[in-house]
Amino acid sequence: KDGVFLGADTRATGGSEVADKNCAKIHYLAPNIYCCGAGTAADTEQTTALISSQLELLRLSTGTQSRVVAAVTLLKRMLFRYQGHVSAALVLGGVDVAGAHLYQIYPQGSTGKLPYVTMGSGSLAAMSVFETGYRDDMDEADAVDLVKDAIFGGIFNDLGSGSNCDITIIRSATGLAEERRNFRTPNDVGQLRALYARPASLVPPPGATAILETQVEIFDAQPMDL
Amino acid sequence: SRARRGRSRKEMSTIVRRCDGGAERVWQASGGPTEHKFDPYDFNGGTTLAISGEDFVMVAADTRMSSGYSILSRKVSKLHKVGERTMLAAAGCQTDVVALVNTLQTRHRMYVHQTGKGMTTTALAQMLSNTLYYKRFFPYYAFNVLAGLDADGKGAVYSYDAIGSFQRVPFSASGSGQSYVIPLLDNILCHKNRQDPQPPLTPQLAVEFAKEAFVSAGERDIHTGDAVEIAVVTKDGITTETFQLKQD
Repeated sequence: KDGVFLGADTRATGGSEVADKNCAKIHYLAPNIYCCGAGTAADTEQTTALISSQLELLRLSTGTQSRVVAAVTLLKRMLFRYQGHVSAALVLGGVDVAGAHLYQIYPQGSTGKLPYVTMGSGSLAAMSVFETGYRDDMDEADAVDLVKDAIFGGIFNDLGSGSNCDITIIRSATGLAEERRNFRTPNDVGQLRALYARPASLVPPPGATAILETQVEIFDAQPMDL
Repeated sequence: SRARRGRSRKEMSTIVRRCDGGAERVWQASGGPTEHKFDPYDFNGGTTLAISGEDFVMVAADTRMSSGYSILSRKVSKLHKVGERTMLAAAGCQTDVVALVNTLQTRHRMYVHQTGKGMTTTALAQMLSNTLYYKRFFPYYAFNVLAGLDADGKGAVYSYDAIGSFQRVPFSASGSGQSYVIPLLDNILCHKNRQDPQPPLTPQLAVEFAKEAFVSAGERDIHTGDAVEIAVVTKDGITTETFQLKQD
């Protein structure tokens, strides 16, 4: 009842390799609208940036706050035009004059307006948590807790998700957003590495690397001359 | 025909749901006989590592079993005892690994009945190669590492491909995380590309190397994680320890 609560994990994969252990998947669209993106990272990044810029231009020409439906419509019209080839599966949430809204947007361009949504490879794991714990009109603390648990469901049970949990809260009362980057970090490898003796050869001593050739060039010019 | 504008009448499409949540339209030629194929292999993931020492050998493997993007189990052992003092660590398709291990253990049992003695590590190494090549045209999808003590009591590690080509090596890593483990161990274990003196390899140091390798591989390989089972084989027996890894 207090607003819209968005959550995301922070793992970016390329096949079975983790390309980024701490990427940011919650994108800014407007001061009162944020968007979580699953699918191809470049597609979600660029699509949300494009629509964010379109929304800002619209704000300048209308003189009013952006509406969530405007963001949804701009996104779905673009994604449908590309027939699903722009692989961006989005969870869009925001607060405007008409209230708090949450949408899911599929790469082909279809949308759903729902009280709770999940997208991505871990969406089934997260949705199972939502289906168990969701109630209408939850307060902020409960909502944040549920979103965190849902993301954790994806982090620990889905191989495509992992590392940390980011949360963004957009409150109905103020219409403003609070970004909680790395809200929870249950996978800190530093703690794990402290549990065993690390091999001494990890730190090569001075002289370990062979110097094959040394070449020295002396510049006698003043720095400004270069 | 309007729906297939721009495409041949003989083409048909299906929607395929991808494991990343997206879906795509896949076009196939149709109108004639359609062939559906059964893929007999599943990739269950995992990484294995073995390091040989002067009078011991250390074998380690993670305990995660996965399929696609799902975890099937966090506690499956990939270490198998096949002789008196020989361990086989194998990742790949779990059912093929289990079938292979059962075959080896049965044949070893028969050898003991027939000769009254256990098979040496070198003999087991050759037998594994022969068993794998026997299925040259429908291979065991198993990435094997055999480790044990040789006739002189020195540590021996043998590394295999899926169809039985093998070689004795000082250390070997295989499985989904091998690309992360091998370069690390080349540098910190074998001191490749560095000139500082190499300390003597003790079982404790080998275990440290294994933990370091698996923590690092678990960071970057989605199929590696949960826990790593580390076994040290010496003339006095086999000791095992389990070290917890990240579960994400």
